[in-house]
Amino acid sequence: MGRITNNIKTLRFLNGEMTQKDLAKRVGVTRQTILAIENDKYSPSLEVAFKIALIFDVPLEEVFTYEADETD
Amino acid sequence: MDEMSFKEKTITVTLINFSLILIYVLWRLRRMLATDTFVAERIFNLWGWVIFFAVVVSIIAIILANFGLTLLKAINENNPNPEIDDFEDERDQLIDLRGTRITYSFYSFGVLIAMLTFVLGQSALVMFTVLMVVGLVAQIAGDVTRLVLYRRGF
Repeated sequence: MGRITNNIKTLRFLNGEMTQKDLAKRVGVTRQTILAIENDKYSPSLEVAFKIALIFDVPLEEVFTYEADETD
Repeated sequence: MDEMSFKEKTITVTLINFSLILIYVLWRLRRMLATDTFVAERIFNLWGWVIFFAVVVSIIAIILANFGLTLLKAINENNPNPEIDDFEDERDQLIDLRGTRITYSFYSFGVLIAMLTFVLGQSALVMFTVLMVVGLVAQIAGDVTRLVLYRRGF
Protein backbone atom coordinates (compact mmCIF):
# COMPACT_ATOMS: atom_id res chain seq x y z
CA MET A 1 0.00 0.00 0.00
CA GLY A 2 1.17 3.52 -0.79
CA ARG A 3 0.99 6.57 1.39
CA ILE A 4 -1.25 9.64 1.07
CA THR A 5 0.26 12.96 2.15
CA ASN A 6 -1.34 16.39 2.06
CA ASN A 7 -0.70 20.14 2.04
CA ILE A 8 -3.66 21.17 4.15
CA LYS A 9 -1.53 22.98 6.74
CA THR A 10 0.11 25.12 4.01
CA LEU A 11 -3.19 25.73 2.23
CA ARG A 12 -4.80 26.84 5.50
CA PHE A 13 -1.96 29.28 6.04
CA LEU A 14 -2.27 30.64 2.50
CA ASN A 15 -6.03 31.06 2.90
CA GLY A 16 -5.96 33.76 5.54
CA GLU A 17 -4.47 31.54 8.22
CA MET A 18 -7.67 29.56 8.44
CA THR A 19 -7.91 27.61 11.69
CA GLN A 20 -8.46 23.85 11.91
CA LYS A 21 -11.74 24.62 13.63
CA ASP A 22 -12.97 26.82 10.77
CA LEU A 23 -11.98 24.25 8.16
CA ALA A 24 -13.61 21.45 10.15
CA LYS A 25 -16.83 23.44 10.40
CA ARG A 26 -16.90 24.09 6.65
CA VAL A 27 -16.13 20.47 5.77
CA GLY A 28 -18.58 19.09 8.33
CA VAL A 29 -16.15 17.02 10.39
CA THR A 30 -14.62 17.43 13.84
CA ARG A 31 -11.43 19.43 14.43
CA GLN A 32 -9.74 16.21 15.55
CA THR A 33 -10.40 14.69 12.13
CA ILE A 34 -8.74 17.64 10.37
CA LEU A 35 -5.79 17.29 12.75
CA ALA A 36 -5.57 13.54 12.03
CA ILE A 37 -5.65 14.19 8.25
CA GLU A 38 -2.94 16.87 8.51
CA ASN A 39 -0.72 14.51 10.49
CA ASP A 40 -1.25 11.71 7.93
CA LYS A 41 -2.97 9.62 10.58
CA TYR A 42 -6.22 9.34 8.64
CA SER A 43 -7.05 9.17 4.94
CA PRO A 44 -10.42 10.87 4.42
CA SER A 45 -13.24 9.68 2.18
CA LEU A 46 -13.40 11.00 -1.37
CA GLU A 47 -16.29 13.25 -0.38
CA VAL A 48 -14.32 14.94 2.39
CA ALA A 49 -11.21 15.16 0.18
CA PHE A 50 -13.18 16.91 -2.58
CA LYS A 51 -14.85 19.23 -0.07
CA ILE A 52 -11.43 20.31 1.25
CA ALA A 53 -10.17 20.93 -2.30
CA LEU A 54 -13.32 22.95 -3.10
CA ILE A 55 -12.91 25.10 0.02
CA PHE A 56 -9.33 25.97 -0.96
CA ASP A 57 -10.41 26.30 -4.62
CA VAL A 58 -7.61 24.05 -5.89
CA PRO A 59 -7.59 20.69 -7.71
CA LEU A 60 -7.63 17.58 -5.53
CA GLU A 61 -4.06 16.64 -6.47
CA GLU A 62 -2.81 19.95 -5.06
CA VAL A 63 -4.20 18.99 -1.67
CA PHE A 64 -3.44 15.28 -1.61
CA THR A 65 -0.49 13.37 -3.05
CA TYR A 66 -0.29 9.63 -3.43
CA GLU A 67 3.16 8.14 -2.89
CA ALA A 68 3.20 4.65 -4.33
CA ASP A 69 5.23 1.83 -2.81
CA GLU A 70 8.01 0.30 -4.86
CA THR A 71 5.95 -2.89 -4.98
CA ASP A 72 2.91 -1.04 -6.47
CA MET B 1 -1.63 15.69 24.31
CA ASP B 2 -4.29 17.03 21.98
CA GLU B 3 -7.74 17.82 23.29
CA MET B 4 -10.05 14.79 23.22
CA SER B 5 -13.15 14.79 21.05
CA PHE B 6 -16.62 14.24 22.49
CA LYS B 7 -16.53 10.61 21.32
CA GLU B 8 -13.11 9.96 22.87
CA LYS B 9 -14.31 11.31 26.21
CA THR B 10 -17.40 9.09 26.04
CA ILE B 11 -15.28 6.03 25.22
CA THR B 12 -12.84 6.83 28.05
CA VAL B 13 -15.69 7.06 30.56
CA THR B 14 -17.18 3.78 29.29
CA LEU B 15 -13.77 2.11 29.46
CA ILE B 16 -13.21 3.22 33.08
CA ASN B 17 -16.74 2.12 34.00
CA PHE B 18 -16.40 -1.34 32.43
CA SER B 19 -12.92 -1.83 33.89
CA LEU B 20 -14.29 -1.07 37.37
CA ILE B 21 -17.21 -3.45 36.77
CA LEU B 22 -14.79 -6.20 35.69
CA ILE B 23 -12.65 -5.67 38.81
CA TYR B 24 -15.80 -5.78 40.97
CA VAL B 25 -17.05 -8.97 39.27
CA LEU B 26 -13.68 -10.73 39.62
CA TRP B 27 -13.45 -9.68 43.27
CA ARG B 28 -17.00 -10.99 43.99
CA LEU B 29 -16.27 -14.25 42.14
CA ARG B 30 -13.06 -14.73 44.08
CA ARG B 31 -14.95 -14.22 47.34
CA MET B 32 -17.68 -16.66 46.28
CA LEU B 33 -15.12 -19.31 45.43
CA ALA B 34 -13.20 -18.71 48.66
CA THR B 35 -16.31 -18.98 50.83
CA ASP B 36 -17.82 -21.80 48.79
CA THR B 37 -20.90 -19.73 47.90
CA PHE B 38 -20.67 -20.05 44.13
CA VAL B 39 -24.39 -20.71 43.69
CA ALA B 40 -27.00 -19.72 41.10
CA GLU B 41 -28.76 -17.19 43.33
CA ARG B 42 -25.57 -15.22 43.97
CA ILE B 43 -24.41 -15.39 40.36
CA PHE B 44 -27.74 -14.10 39.03
CA ASN B 45 -27.67 -11.36 41.66
CA LEU B 46 -24.18 -10.39 40.47
CA TRP B 47 -25.37 -10.47 36.85
CA GLY B 48 -28.20 -8.08 37.77
CA TRP B 49 -25.67 -5.65 39.25
CA VAL B 50 -23.48 -5.94 36.17
CA ILE B 51 -26.41 -5.00 33.91
CA PHE B 52 -27.32 -2.11 36.23
CA PHE B 53 -23.76 -0.74 36.31
CA ALA B 54 -23.24 -1.32 32.58
CA VAL B 55 -26.39 0.47 31.48
CA VAL B 56 -27.60 2.94 34.10
CA VAL B 57 -24.26 3.95 35.63
CA SER B 58 -22.63 4.24 32.18
CA ILE B 59 -25.32 6.67 31.00
CA ILE B 60 -25.12 8.75 34.19
CA ALA B 61 -21.29 8.74 34.12
CA ILE B 62 -21.19 9.90 30.47
CA ILE B 63 -23.68 12.71 31.16
CA LEU B 64 -21.80 13.84 34.28
CA ALA B 65 -18.37 13.62 32.62
CA ASN B 66 -19.47 15.66 29.61
CA PHE B 67 -21.25 18.16 31.83
CA GLY B 68 -18.15 18.52 34.01
CA LEU B 69 -15.74 18.79 31.08
CA THR B 70 -17.94 21.37 29.31
CA LEU B 71 -18.08 23.38 32.53
CA LEU B 72 -14.30 23.19 32.83
CA LYS B 73 -13.88 24.32 29.22
CA ALA B 74 -16.27 27.23 29.79
CA ILE B 75 -14.24 28.32 32.83
CA ASN B 76 -10.88 27.91 31.05
CA GLU B 77 -11.99 29.81 27.93
CA ASN B 78 -14.02 32.30 29.97
CA ASN B 79 -16.86 31.68 27.54
CA PRO B 80 -20.35 30.78 28.83
CA ASN B 81 -21.17 28.97 25.56
CA PRO B 82 -18.08 26.94 24.60
CA GLU B 83 -18.20 25.18 21.22
CA ILE B 84 -18.25 21.40 21.46
CA ASP B 85 -17.94 18.92 18.60
CA ASP B 86 -20.68 16.66 19.89
CA PHE B 87 -21.39 14.92 16.60
CA GLU B 88 -20.03 11.84 14.87
CA ASP B 89 -18.16 12.23 11.60
CA GLU B 90 -16.90 9.56 9.18
CA ARG B 91 -13.69 8.95 11.18
CA ASP B 92 -15.65 8.40 14.41
CA GLN B 93 -17.94 5.93 12.64
CA LEU B 94 -15.02 4.05 11.10
CA ILE B 95 -13.21 3.80 14.44
CA ASP B 96 -16.44 2.68 16.10
CA LEU B 97 -16.87 -0.06 13.50
CA ARG B 98 -13.33 -1.34 14.05
CA GLY B 99 -13.85 -1.33 17.81
CA THR B 100 -17.11 -3.22 17.42
CA ARG B 101 -15.35 -5.80 15.25
CA ILE B 102 -12.77 -6.39 18.00
CA THR B 103 -15.57 -6.64 20.60
CA TYR B 104 -17.38 -9.26 18.52
CA SER B 105 -14.17 -11.21 17.87
CA PHE B 106 -13.35 -11.34 21.57
CA TYR B 107 -16.91 -12.28 22.47
CA SER B 108 -17.10 -15.01 19.84
CA PHE B 109 -13.88 -16.50 21.17
CA GLY B 110 -15.26 -16.19 24.71
CA VAL B 111 -18.49 -17.97 23.80
CA LEU B 112 -16.38 -20.80 22.39
CA ILE B 113 -14.40 -21.04 25.65
CA ALA B 114 -17.65 -20.93 27.68
CA MET B 115 -19.10 -23.78 25.64
CA LEU B 116 -15.85 -25.67 26.01
CA THR B 117 -16.11 -25.48 29.81
CA PHE B 118 -19.59 -27.03 29.51
CA VAL B 119 -18.35 -29.74 27.17
CA LEU B 120 -15.51 -30.50 29.58
CA GLY B 121 -18.00 -31.26 32.33
CA GLN B 122 -18.36 -27.95 34.17
CA SER B 123 -21.81 -26.78 35.29
CA ALA B 124 -24.05 -24.42 33.31
CA LEU B 125 -23.38 -21.84 36.04
CA VAL B 126 -19.67 -21.83 35.19
CA MET B 127 -20.53 -21.39 31.52
CA PHE B 128 -22.84 -18.48 32.37
CA THR B 129 -20.16 -16.85 34.54
CA VAL B 130 -17.56 -17.18 31.79
CA LEU B 131 -20.00 -15.57 29.34
CA MET B 132 -20.55 -12.66 31.74
CA VAL B 133 -16.81 -12.06 32.28
CA VAL B 134 -16.01 -12.46 28.59
CA GLY B 135 -18.72 -9.93 27.71
CA LEU B 136 -17.01 -7.36 29.94
CA VAL B 137 -13.54 -8.19 28.60
CA ALA B 138 -14.84 -7.90 25.01
CA GLN B 139 -16.33 -4.48 25.70
CA ILE B 140 -13.04 -3.30 27.28
CA ALA B 141 -11.01 -4.66 24.35
CA GLY B 142 -13.26 -2.80 21.90
CA ASP B 143 -12.95 0.47 23.82
CA VAL B 144 -9.15 0.13 24.12
CA THR B 145 -8.98 -0.46 20.35
CA ARG B 146 -11.08 2.66 19.71
CA LEU B 147 -8.85 4.81 21.95
CA VAL B 148 -5.67 3.43 20.35
CA LEU B 149 -7.05 4.18 16.87
CA TYR B 150 -7.95 7.72 17.93
CA ARG B 151 -4.44 8.34 19.30
CA ARG B 152 -2.30 6.38 16.82
CA GLY B 153 -4.39 6.93 13.70
CA PHE B 154 -4.97 4.44 10.91
